[in-house]
Amino acid sequence: MGFISHIKLFKEYLKIAVATALEYRANFVIQVLAMAFNDAFLLVFWFLFFDRFKLINGWALEELMILYALLTLAYGIAGVFFGNRSQIPKLIAEGKLDFYLNLPKEELFHILISKSSSFAVGDIVFGLLLGAYVLTLSQWPLFLLFVVISTSFVVSFGVLVGSLGFYFGNAEETARTLWMGMISLSSNPFSIFKGGARIILLTLIPAGFVTGIPVELLKNFTWSWFGILVGAAVIFLLLSIIIFRRGLRRYESGSMMTARI
Amino acid sequence: MELAKYSALARISIGNNLVYVKDFFMSSLFIGIILFIFIQLWTVVYGTEAEVIEGFTLGMMIWYLVLTESIVTSPGRLIEDIGAEVQSGTIAQHLLKPYHYLLFKYVTTMGSTVLRFVMTFIIGALLAFFFVGGIKVTLWSVPIIILSLFLALTLHYAFMAAIGVMAFWLEDAESLYLLYQKTIFVFGGMFMPLDIFPAWLESVSKALPFSYVAYYPAHLAVRFDVNEAISVVGMQIVWISVLSVIAWALYRFCVKRITINGG
Repeated sequence: MGFISHIKLFKEYLKIAVATALEYRANFVIQVLAMAFNDAFLLVFWFLFFDRFKLINGWALEELMILYALLTLAYGIAGVFFGNRSQIPKLIAEGKLDFYLNLPKEELFHILISKSSSFAVGDIVFGLLLGAYVLTLSQWPLFLLFVVISTSFVVSFGVLVGSLGFYFGNAEETARTLWMGMISLSSNPFSIFKGGARIILLTLIPAGFVTGIPVELLKNFTWSWFGILVGAAVIFLLLSIIIFRRGLRRYESGSMMTARI
Repeated sequence: MELAKYSALARISIGNNLVYVKDFFMSSLFIGIILFIFIQLWTVVYGTEAEVIEGFTLGMMIWYLVLTESIVTSPGRLIEDIGAEVQSGTIAQHLLKPYHYLLFKYVTTMGSTVLRFVMTFIIGALLAFFFVGGIKVTLWSVPIIILSLFLALTLHYAFMAAIGVMAFWLEDAESLYLLYQKTIFVFGGMFMPLDIFPAWLESVSKALPFSYVAYYPAHLAVRFDVNEAISVVGMQIVWISVLSVIAWALYRFCVKRITINGG
């Protein structure tokens, strides 16, 4: 159960992911480009929007570009390094967690790292390019710290909604909907949300912490909000681990014999 | 006889989808979230800009978005469905059946698409009523608006069928789906009316067939005009014909290259 052995496992999975990408090179390139174009198209909407309206409650195109750089990097890193989170409800519903439970590695970590998405590489490429365009050199250290924090929120949320499968049987569609909702909510200017909506986005669906608060901190840093951001990230991470482990006690194996090739 | 066969298939598709009420509810919930975001966004815009933007009041804008969302999201991930059948070769199973694959897909998809459209529209309409109230629609324009919406869904299908079959060559249906989806989002006018674009891009986007999937039918519903209605319905039929021919030709080409190695 040592830390080093988990890092080694992580490295092995990454090697497999790279080998797979190299084996299907054309597909990999198409998927990376498709995702980068996908992100660019969405940004085109905001270019057109801000071309006409200039300012949305204090947010301009620049804030939106920083938001997109952060958003795509966080979701991209989550997809590349912890890409199996989307499969959690399916693995639970079909009783396929046995493989992970029988091995001497921390189950949740092992589940998350055992799949990598090629599409998510496109997100990372796009995020880095956009970041290079919109951020000043002095903003980068804080920005990178926010990328780590946002990724943590994204992965924690993925685990939380995935764990619904332990409690509600087949929760694939529910988890997917909440996940997509989180992406949509975190890809809009945080300044448009007021009152109750803002509270929901800083608690139940922490989209505000993924992009809104970090972008506002990059423009106008305050230690109090930075503390809240870090504290909330830790709470969400711990909560996701606890809920997953509690859920695991309710898990019923499908006793399925499969070969992992 | 031919028609009875396809209408039976559409009925079965609707029945199958009614079984998955929870999935339906969830996808409608997602649409609810998206519309909630749009309502927040445009309320801020109208609060700081003007009462009318390019002929749209806040109410018209939200109802426009309810309709474009309902049209664009209701067919589901059809490109990937067709792409998966084309790539895996399971499309061969359909070759033995007494129907044309693309027509079979059309009726089975339209069955569930119309159902999902209605459910999404109801959720969207409730949200729109709650936040911005209703809009004026003349009763006699309703059948023409419904016709245009139906043609929009058909054109959307024709696009996706043609692109789905292209997965035969391009290997990755999901990539194609992402790109088509975002084209409709932006240049089809799903996210906002094309009138808000810079003039040059507005005229380019309005001339492209994507605008007949989302922009024109929704525009017609919130700002009805007889002359525009005639031209929109006419152009929708033209584009459906063009894309159907393309989808049909691509499909024929693809089927000729399918090799079946026994059972």
